[in-house]
Amino acid sequence: MAKDIIQVEDLQVWFPVRRGFIESLTSKEQRYVKAVDGVSFNIKEQEIFCLVGESGCGKTTTGKAILRLVEPTGGTVRYAGVGLTPKLIKQAATDAVSKKGLNKDEAEKNVSLGAVDVRKLKKDLMKLLRQKMQIIFQDPYESLNPKQSIYDIVAEPLVVNNLGASEADREKRVQKALDDAGLRPPKDFMWRYPHEVSGGQRQRVGIAGALVLEPAFLVADEPVSMLDVSIRSEILKLMLDLREKKGLTYLFITHDLSVAYVFSDRIGIMYLGKIVELGPTEEVIKSPRHPYTKALISVVPKPDPRMKTEKIILKGERPDPAHIPPGCRFHPRCPYAMDKCKEEEPEPIFVSQEHWVSCWLVGEGKS
Amino acid sequence: MALLEISGLKTYFKTQEGTLKAVDGIDFNLEKGQAMGLAGESGCGKTTAALSIMKLLPANGYIAGGSINFMGQDMSQVTGDRLRAIRWRDISIIFQGAMNALNPVKRVGDQITEPILLHEKVEEEVAVKRVKELFELVGINPNRIREYPHEFSGGMRQRVMIAMALACKPKLVICDEPTTALDVMIQAQILQLLKNLQQELELAMIIISHDLSVLAETCELLSIMYAGKIVERSSAVEVFSNPQHPYTKGLIAAFPNIKGDRKMPASIAGNPPNLIHAPKGCRFADRCYAAQDLCKVEEPPLVEVLPGHFAACHFIKEKG
Repeated sequence: MAKDIIQVEDLQVWFPVRRGFIESLTSKEQRYVKAVDGVSFNIKEQEIFCLVGESGCGKTTTGKAILRLVEPTGGTVRYAGVGLTPKLIKQAATDAVSKKGLNKDEAEKNVSLGAVDVRKLKKDLMKLLRQKMQIIFQDPYESLNPKQSIYDIVAEPLVVNNLGASEADREKRVQKALDDAGLRPPKDFMWRYPHEVSGGQRQRVGIAGALVLEPAFLVADEPVSMLDVSIRSEILKLMLDLREKKGLTYLFITHDLSVAYVFSDRIGIMYLGKIVELGPTEEVIKSPRHPYTKALISVVPKPDPRMKTEKIILKGERPDPAHIPPGCRFHPRCPYAMDKCKEEEPEPIFVSQEHWVSCWLVGEGKS
Repeated sequence: MALLEISGLKTYFKTQEGTLKAVDGIDFNLEKGQAMGLAGESGCGKTTAALSIMKLLPANGYIAGGSINFMGQDMSQVTGDRLRAIRWRDISIIFQGAMNALNPVKRVGDQITEPILLHEKVEEEVAVKRVKELFELVGINPNRIREYPHEFSGGMRQRVMIAMALACKPKLVICDEPTTALDVMIQAQILQLLKNLQQELELAMIIISHDLSVLAETCELLSIMYAGKIVERSSAVEVFSNPQHPYTKGLIAAFPNIKGDRKMPASIAGNPPNLIHAPKGCRFADRCYAAQDLCKVEEPPLVEVLPGHFAACHFIKEKG
């Protein structure tokens, strides 16, 4: 069995709510927006793990917290250093040592450990590690600087990380990244600007920017939601190819269950800062156990007017993460909520070896 | 006579590089109470086609040919006060991106009463009463009419937009990507609402979307656009069950189906052509798996391949 490359345990990201002067005088308790409120999962080597949920459920924040693009307020994120070649560790460590005056032993020890605690890493080491953990952003129309050429965009991670012996070496790496991302021949694209290429090609530029550092783990935050349907699967196929060729591992974040269904190995369904159901993709989609998962699956539009399926349309919208309801956080919208759901928060229950769900109905054998 | 008859509509834009033929000769009819979906990739001209009907084109856009016959008058000739009288009272539009389409410094109620007061000689109280009814119709608490757009969530704002579009009891409502920025659950709520309203009020509707599955759930008729032209047009069931044009087949295959097998959907390689220098012959030829020499020289006409089912491809047999 493949080993875990990412382990997330009880991850928390709470944002303090700003209080007014009077409110702080009356010394009300500090409130938090609990964007991520105790999330645990692991991602195996070369696996595609997918987080699905409505906007505001904390899926993007989870992805960013793993890379420490937002600082987690609690929990652990472990990264097992797969993909870090000894040469690169040394190179990067020496660079960091010479640049920032970092303890060399410390640098090498930390990075070469089987697993490192991402949250406890010092800034410099985090920067090293982040070369192995990259992100692809959602919107290729806004995530690329319109005033930079594609070469500059893709080469920037190299410049920031002080990689590449010479300009010629950097150019070679950029060309390779563009080629890997399917922008061929790379020379035709390198000196163009983002507005000169199509949406799908822009997303490929975003992918090339993540690939140029040769990462082992990629967070893909809705990489195809802004693209036309006709080119979506090209990008998804490219990501699958890259997994084969480069042994990449993905955390795939999406609100689109049908994309998650065809693309991922395992799915975690998130609701209001927590994962409510997690398991192998096929099992979760074909035999969902949580009422929220069932509802989500039922409302996915089917590309065929002859298919009439019953929809479970939930009333209302998700509650505010600053005021998380007590008990099961889904109970105000749950069609099957019982008294117990309003008081006690359900613990994960395994329904098969790898498939668990947090719901009292399952606990009581009603689902 | 149909409520809306569009024939040979051409809408062009003047740009620095030349004339961009965004819509280049499309025809369709729409009867009272019918919902038609207009589908296609971004840049295929579907929004331009809709904006042409309401004559809301930007300054460099103009109708270069064809006619838009709406309730007996040619919209392409109507201007000034007559046009203003038709807009919103007879045809209204739900704009793309509900998040940004509302005026952030006006109360939502006031924004909806405005067209009512402009179009109908009624007292303000009557208009406010109508707005409250509209709110109830679209599922918002009528007490919220004095709130501002920022106090509403995305789905609720979209409901406000729908209420606004219905304010003057129009006969035709154009929905431009009505659910694109919304979550799946909210999308399902809005689509159900649109469908119910359409049936209850016998509205004619044009729904524009790049998402075929959204149209599959809401529309009776379906037109597929590619590079400024309609390449296939029929009832939604017919288009999905018996697609004729290679582009339509490709589009349908590009959708992952959560009820079907777990396999990666197909994609259509390549990009749509530049509409300033549109290629001779079939515009889809470069991306088509079945393209032959003929396709590169001669443009296929839209012909009836089966009763009520039109497609534009050289390699489809005509009916009969």
